[in-house]
Amino acid sequence: MQETPSTAIAAGTQASRRRRRSRGRFLQAATPYLLIAPVVIVIAVILGYPLYWLGKLSTERYGLFELIQHAGTSIGLDNYRSVLHDEIFWRTLLRTVIFTAVIVGLTMTIGMALALLLVRVSRPVRLLLSSGLILVWSMPVVVAVQVWYWMTNFQNGVVNHVLTQLHVGDYFQHDWYATTFSQLGMVSLLIIWGALPFVAITLYAGLAQVPADLVEAAEVDGARPWRVFVDITLPIIKPILLILTSLSIIWDFGVFTQPYLLIQQSKIHAGNYLMSIYLFEEGYFKSDFGRGAAISVLMLAIVAILSIVYVRRMVRIGNEA
Amino acid sequence: MKSRSIAALCLVAVLAAVVAASTPGATKKATANSITVWLQVDAQSGWPDVVAAATKQFQSDHPGTSVNVQYQNWGDHLQKFDATLAGGSGPDVIEMGNTEMTKYMAAGAFADISSARASFDNSANWLKGLAASARYGGKTYGVPYYAGSRVVTYRSDLYKKAGISKLPATTAQYVADAKKLAAKNGKKGFSPVYIAGTDWYVAMGFVFDYGGGIATQISGKWKGLLSSPQSIAGLTAYKNFFNSTSRASKTTDETHPNPYDVYAQGQAASIVGPSWFSCCVGAKFKGSTAQFVMPGRLKGKAMPGFLGGSDLAVPANSSNKALATDWMKDFTSTASEKALQAKGNIPNATNLLGSSVNERAASRSWFVPTAKHWVDVENGNVLRNMLAQILSGKLTVKQAAASASDNIASVLNQS
Repeated sequence: MQETPSTAIAAGTQASRRRRRSRGRFLQAATPYLLIAPVVIVIAVILGYPLYWLGKLSTERYGLFELIQHAGTSIGLDNYRSVLHDEIFWRTLLRTVIFTAVIVGLTMTIGMALALLLVRVSRPVRLLLSSGLILVWSMPVVVAVQVWYWMTNFQNGVVNHVLTQLHVGDYFQHDWYATTFSQLGMVSLLIIWGALPFVAITLYAGLAQVPADLVEAAEVDGARPWRVFVDITLPIIKPILLILTSLSIIWDFGVFTQPYLLIQQSKIHAGNYLMSIYLFEEGYFKSDFGRGAAISVLMLAIVAILSIVYVRRMVRIGNEA
Repeated sequence: MKSRSIAALCLVAVLAAVVAASTPGATKKATANSITVWLQVDAQSGWPDVVAAATKQFQSDHPGTSVNVQYQNWGDHLQKFDATLAGGSGPDVIEMGNTEMTKYMAAGAFADISSARASFDNSANWLKGLAASARYGGKTYGVPYYAGSRVVTYRSDLYKKAGISKLPATTAQYVADAKKLAAKNGKKGFSPVYIAGTDWYVAMGFVFDYGGGIATQISGKWKGLLSSPQSIAGLTAYKNFFNSTSRASKTTDETHPNPYDVYAQGQAASIVGPSWFSCCVGAKFKGSTAQFVMPGRLKGKAMPGFLGGSDLAVPANSSNKALATDWMKDFTSTASEKALQAKGNIPNATNLLGSSVNERAASRSWFVPTAKHWVDVENGNVLRNMLAQILSGKLTVKQAAASASDNIASVLNQS
């Protein structure tokens, strides 16, 4: 911002005019700040305040006793030290990163395929397909988990029944939640199923931006569909892809409801933790809120690192446009 | 470029914080003329009339005072309670499992009711195990509510059809009977004895029956006992028993599904669990349902059963402690306890004990280690995970028991 050169003007003679002018300039300079002030204040209050307390809590010993007394004891970085020295933390982190990569990869790939399909199909089919997607999206997560649980139930799940009837194999009383791999596989399916509508519909909207004549020209020049997709479609919808990918990373890395409810508390142990569950078990179940806060601060940092690349590129694209 | 990176980082932080932020809801603050009571769902499904009768009695002594009873689940009631301790707007009376009390008493979560103790019905004869679970540092922080042992609920029609004229007196006999039952019921997935794989209450019964244990305190330090030869013999016996009698999932717990639902669907000839299971066996089998005491390894000795139970306590931050205490008095009165007994529970005092199957089953019982951190072992599913590993064959009994034993000792020995 440029300073108002008010001192350059001779004092005394034009004092009142100068004041008026400087006030005008000040207002002009301040307008953008005043305009964003409400947003900044709201964000500071609803996010800054809890974040401040989260940070403070992470440097305190804060268990059940302290909770009842409403006062923690400051212990510096001990909580962080204890988490970073916890073998379970590192194993959970690795498991969660792989889990997130698989889910985000599959969501984006299948979502893209669905979006392309939406462009190609006839109007009634498109209507049917997109209504189906919207229905999936409008289903509350907890309800969806319950339905999935029923379908894959050990005792009388419909999935087991259908697979057996189709002679895929004997799935009578097949335990879909017997191993960590199988548990996380079921959770992944549920999450991908739930995330597809948003990704597919957003990408479909993005595909509308691809100029038809450009595609046509390329096709006339003999370009195959795959080349058209890679050289024309992808660059145009890249910003949308990047936004969706970074959002998916943030959501999937910290996902809690689906794994916690589908795997069920009684089957959760250190060997199948995801980051959010590790945080919940350490912080809430063991009533060690200080340590829990330290884990959430670390999770925040990890998510920031994981998606910084994407967001940077996104911002760059935004500036170029 | 640098400012862009910072801006990007800020954006990510904000987005991530939105995702991460979540606050548990708090219950409404009780007014001077109302108290909030947290009971477990067992009361809602098993004896809502007893709750209503106590409240009626309470309200006739305290006209105009409303009682707001909220039912909670065992799985998450402590997290909800923690949230209200932080927010300061919790229940005035809370039901706690007897294994959950120690941690909270140690942290000062409950009001000291030692001075009111004598005014509770039968307080001189409270069940020892339950009364002990509500005492800490010589003070009383809770009132025994009821206890429950575990019995076998079975279908007498199927037993008759299989030609079983005498109820099993030993575990071995029970297995032999189970084979007869299975032969007469060819239905796929039918369990002669339905036991959920990770039902550690049943499994630890075998451990104690063979002379083993979970953990013991030696000069102030906890030592895991599951890796002892006796415990391993017990766990092996459980594995064999499960494999020859139950078609339940090897990794599921005893509430997914509820054993009585499996029974009501005609998929089981017997189930092992609290005696109130008889409440929910379905109209079709109600008439043919009976109960017996789970037999142990040796003739004439019952299988040691987990003596579960609940206490009632007044949270330290309640603003209506006197009213809350009065409600507890009405809810644990002789009349109320007798009504609970009639529903198949064990009443809270020795002078009220009868000779029901439930009360006979309590003759041999076991209890979890009374350690401040025991609840962390339970919530961490250490025993369940061990049982899943054993039954699925992922680890040998010895390996799984050794790892669980070390794990338990390290959790219990935390400061």
